[in-house]
Parts: sequence; C-alpha cells; structure tokens
Amino acid sequence: MALNRRQFLIGAGGLAAAATTMGLGACAPGSSGGGSQGGGGEGGETNLALAWWGNPTRNKNTEAMMAAYMAANPNVKISGQPGEFSSYWDKLATQTAGGQAPDIIQMDMNYISEYGSRGALLDLGSVDTSKFVEGTVDSGKINDKLVGVNAGINTAVIMANPKVFEKAKMDLPDDKTWTWDQMIEVGAEAASKAGVPTGVGQLINSDTMFGILVRQRGKNLFTPDGIGFDVADAQAWYDFLLKGVKAKAFGTPEQISEVLAKPLDQSPVVVESGAMQYQNSNQLLAVSEAAGQKIEMLRPPSLAGKATERKGWYKASMLWSASAKTKNPEAAIAWINWFANDQAAAAIDLAERGIPPNAEVLAAVKSKFSPEQQVVAKFIEDTKTEVGNTPIAPPPGGGTIAELLSRHGTDVIFGRTSSAESAQKFVDELKSNLQV
Amino acid sequence: MSAVSELSTIHRVKAKTPEEKRLAAREAGRDNKAGYLFLLPWLIGLVVIVAGPMFASLYLSFTNYSLIQAPEFIGLDNYVRMFNDPRLLKSLSVTFIYVIVGVPAQLIVALAIAMLLNEGMKGLAIYRSIFYLPSMLGASVAIALLWRQMFEADGVVNQILRLFGFQATTSWIADPQFALWTIILLHVWTFGSPMVIFLAGLRQIPGMYYEAASVDGASKWAQFRKITLPLLSPIIFFNLVLQIINAFQSFTQAYVVSNGTGGPADSTLFYTLYLYQRGFVQFQMGYASAMAWLLVVIIAAFTAINFYFSKRWVFYGD
Repeated sequence: MALNRRQFLIGAGGLAAAATTMGLGACAPGSSGGGSQGGGGEGGETNLALAWWGNPTRNKNTEAMMAAYMAANPNVKISGQPGEFSSYWDKLATQTAGGQAPDIIQMDMNYISEYGSRGALLDLGSVDTSKFVEGTVDSGKINDKLVGVNAGINTAVIMANPKVFEKAKMDLPDDKTWTWDQMIEVGAEAASKAGVPTGVGQLINSDTMFGILVRQRGKNLFTPDGIGFDVADAQAWYDFLLKGVKAKAFGTPEQISEVLAKPLDQSPVVVESGAMQYQNSNQLLAVSEAAGQKIEMLRPPSLAGKATERKGWYKASMLWSASAKTKNPEAAIAWINWFANDQAAAAIDLAERGIPPNAEVLAAVKSKFSPEQQVVAKFIEDTKTEVGNTPIAPPPGGGTIAELLSRHGTDVIFGRTSSAESAQKFVDELKSNLQV
Repeated sequence: MSAVSELSTIHRVKAKTPEEKRLAAREAGRDNKAGYLFLLPWLIGLVVIVAGPMFASLYLSFTNYSLIQAPEFIGLDNYVRMFNDPRLLKSLSVTFIYVIVGVPAQLIVALAIAMLLNEGMKGLAIYRSIFYLPSMLGASVAIALLWRQMFEADGVVNQILRLFGFQATTSWIADPQFALWTIILLHVWTFGSPMVIFLAGLRQIPGMYYEAASVDGASKWAQFRKITLPLLSPIIFFNLVLQIINAFQSFTQAYVVSNGTGGPADSTLFYTLYLYQRGFVQFQMGYASAMAWLLVVIIAAFTAINFYFSKRWVFYGD
C-alpha cells in the first residue's frame, strides 16, 4: 500500500512524538548510569557510585584504587564520578535533591555539616578509626555522629620561595619564634630587597589563618552554639591586614585582589612574584612542581612568639562520607574502611589526599612517598606538640566564612570602610548566614 | 471510516453541501492535529523543561528549601526577607548599572558599525562575519577568561597603554572601582547580533529618500535624524527590548571574571550571580527561587515601560 501525503504526515508526527518521549525518558533520573541505584543486581553484584573532585594524579590514583578493590572483591562494582572542585558541589547538591546522591562521597570540611546536619550522610560509626592519630577523627563528627572519615591530614603552613629570599640576600625567618608582626616585617623586607610585589600572599581569604589568630586569642571560629569569636577578634585580623598593606608586605590592594581569582599555578610563590604565601601542607608537591623548584614550609606565626603556643591543628584535607540514602550501606562503609585501614589503598594513593591519619598505615607506606611528601610527613610529625584541640566543623551556613572574610577585607584594604566597620559587618553577615 | 477512504471521498467531490462542509471542517481539524503533532517535540520541551520548573520554582519560593531536606512551606517569608538584604540591593544596583549603561552603549556601537557596513564597501560579507564573531563568543567561558587576563595589571590593555607612555599599573579587574566597567565593555564588544539586525533594517530604507534629501541640501546628520532614525525606529525598539531582557540575565561573564564571588568587594555581584550563590553555595533554594521571581517581575516591568514609551518614538511608517 502506498502512503499518501497525509498518512505520511500523521505517521511522521507520531514518530517524532515517540522519539521525543523516548529521548526525554533517556534523560530521566536513574537511567543515566550514575546514581545510587543498583541494589542487589543480578548474581548478587553490588553497585557503588563513588564521587570525588581532584586533579589528574588523584584521578589516576582513585581509578587504580577502585580497580584494586574490585579485584579483591569481585562481587562489588564501583563506578567513578570524577569532578572539579567548584562544579562538584553544584552537582552533588542537585544529585542529593533528586535522591540520586553517589553512595560514596568525597567531602570537604566546609560542606560536611550542610549535608551531615540535614541527615543526608550515613553514620560511619562502624568504620574502624582506632589506629588514627589523635585529633584526626573528631573533625568528621557532626552532632557527635561520625559522618566523615578523615582521608588525609593537612595543616596550615606558610610556604616560602628560597630563590626570592636568596635574591633579597636574606635567611628564612625562624618560624619557631616569629610573631605576626615579624611576619609583616620579614615580608616587607623580602619584597623590597628582592624587588617583588608580594612579601606574604594569599592571606586575605584565608579563614584558616584568621582561625589561627582567633585561637591564639583564646577562642575558636565556631562553637556548637554558633560563632565563637567576636567583633574585636575580626577587627584585630583586619587591622593586621591593613598594617601589612601599609608596610608593603602583602602587595598593593589591587595585587591582593587580583591574586584571589587566580589558580594555584599562578600564585605569587609559584611565579616568584612573592616571597611567602599561606597554603595547606598537602599542596607542597603541587606548588613545588608548578614552581619547578624546592619550596620551603614554615610554621604560621604566633602572638606569643613561641611555636608551642601557636595552637595549630590537624585539618582533614578531605573526608569520606556516604549517602544516607545508599542502597548498600555495608558495602559503602566497607570501602571507606578499606581506604582508611588497608595498606593496599595507601600504597596507591600515598599522600595525595594528605598524610594518612592511620599511624600504622603511614609507617608502612612512608618509604614510598615522594621527597616532598616525606617533607610534609616530617613536618606534621615535628609539629605534633604544637597542636591544640580540634576545631569543630563549621555549622550549616558557616562554609561561607572565607568568602565573607575576604569580601569585607577587600573593603578594608581598599580604604572603603574602616576595620571596625568591616569587622562588624562581617560578624553580622556570618551570624545571619548561620541562622537559616 | 478510515482516513484513506474519507480522504478519497473529499477528493472526488467538491465541498458544497452542508454534509460536505462538515467533512471539510473535519479535514481541517485533522490538518491541525498534524500541526500539533509536529509541534509536540517543542511543546513537550516547553512544558517539561521550561514551564514545569518555572511553576516548581514559584512553589519553592514560598518554602524553606535546602536542596537536601524536603521543602517546608513558610508563606511570604522569603519575599519579606528580600527587603532586609543589603547584598540583594547591591546586586540590583550592579545589574541596573550594567543594563542602563551597557545596553544603550552596545546598541549605539552596533548601529554605527551597521551604518558603516551599509555604505556598500567591498568584502562586506567578510567584515560582517568578523564583526559578528564576538557575539557568538561573548558569553563563553573562554572569552571571559581572556578578558580577565587582558585587564590584569600586566595584561594586554596596560601593555598597550604603556606603549603610549601611560603609567598604567592599575589592575582593572581587581579594583572595585573599575571591575564592573570591564564587564560592561565586554558586553559592548558583543554588538554583533543587534548589528546584523540593524543592517537588515538599513537595507529596507529606500535610497530615493536620501537622494531627495541631498538634492534639497540636507546634511548627513539631518538625513540621519530625519530619515534613518524614524524609519529604523521599529528595529531599534526590537533590539532594545531584546537586549534589555538578555542583559538582566547575564551570568557567565561575572561568574568567570570574579571566580563566582562577584568580587572584588561585590562590585561585579550580578543579580543572577547572587541568586546562584544563595541557591547553590548557601543551600537556600527557596530564597533563590523568590529572587528569580523578583527578576521576572523586574524584566516584565522594564518591558512594559518600554512598550508604553514606544508609542512616542517608534514610527511604523503608516
């Protein structure tokens, strides 16, 4: 039978409609391959989705760990969801909203309570953390429930470029005795003698450095009730920033503001436009590689001029969490337990995610570390006696602290507001962010 | 009756009797059905991808919704809170400056270039493509990144200024005084699509008007004011409405240039960027939805005002 024009049209229209519907069906949640579906599956196979953000090295390590784990546990199938830090959180939020959160989630301290306090994370109390170094487990606790297992230890440091100090004909400062004011002096001297714009960089948006100052003033950034510091503490920080800018130790306001938007490989110490900058210890390798030379790590300064009173702490560079809605809670916990306690995992990842918090695992794999990773491990070992109590994770809304600190700090260094006014605004805005 | 036999009936007899007219009407109805079927892919897209989420967001705007927990109805609270939000005001003022300065500036440049190209030069197609190019790239991440590097302290812009002997050390994107203006400049630079529309409009104006005017001794400026502008006014109006709607929704440029912060010191905090921060950084999707609806109202108001005043200056030639 030959089709006439109208039949053809109706048929084609129907086809188009069908194709559209199918196309939409294919976009529907659940059929995209990721997500936490899977349950038993055929042949008793367990499916896990694992999400992380990272860099090429971490991606390679994580894929290798997944392969090793699947080889040892043939009934488990892990599918990876690698990502990039900033978009990772948009994706995780939408996945969680749609009930499609990955089973295993690489978590950050700034986000853990957003998810943990809203019941989106699985209780990981059954993960074995008995071998963890003291002070490395608590950061993953929200309301006394363990919802994140420390994936690597990290600590705040000042990284210094020896070449710039050489150019300035200066020795590296004695980081066991230096004070905040001396940091400004050293920075200003190094910058002017070496002819570089920045003495100490990347301070303005560092809630960590601000936290160190607050702790040395006898407080903490957050308490279980909310904000742990007051306007005077914030003003002290802004006064410090202003003093450094006036002493030409931190660069001009524009330079400071410009560095803010730049990636690590264009930061002052890396491109030799700065003598020192704030950094996390696990980034030593990345900074050294980008700079193409040896980079030194210094302790952050103290008010008292004594390193033993600087109240440092071990940060979790990142944590492992699991979705509360996972269909395979035991399997997810088993994987996290494996990462935390099995040398096979650590032998692959080494110190990429930070120094392993498990003391036994660390002792077993330390010899395989790269020279930079060994330096970091030694630094963390050396500063053990300088560590104070572990700060709690920022409560929901508290993750905005770095952005607020930096924004109101920018107003101060550009002379648009006084340090007192900015401090007040900063505290007010942080308070209102915590309420919601 | 099957479609085929019905069809053959109609084809054989010319529709004259009431019975036949009814058949013809049915026929037309079926034609409409086919039309709707063809429309279906778009319609499903509109309902599922646009209208669905829009009404969902209207509902969410009355809730406290963290994305992680189920939404909780709180009535008008989100809308009330907007009145006491200093950053919302800041983001509105940034966006208004961007729209009120950026859109007219872009249209003036677009019209000027279009008139230049309309002079009938050689290789018009090539020039037209070259001038159109920025429009296609302007909202892209790559260009925004490039823009950031151009306006840095040691960027191309300052290096060129130094060639001319200026002491140019300002980082244009890092100074709260200038950062927004670099983004407005980026907006002006993407004048291609209004330019192409202007060019098409200019082509429609009969050359004899200009000939008659020059015979009467009218200057170029008078010709522009008395002939070009009135005859082009519907096109100008069209571009104005469209560009204002687009400009209010700008996001990529500010997001990339400031790394998502709206910095330095909130000087590039576009409304949409702030909305994004509230929704995805601070987990306040309910508040973000309310903000989205405020933007809908603002854009609708601007468009209405535009249409109202258009009666006074848009000339439709009759």
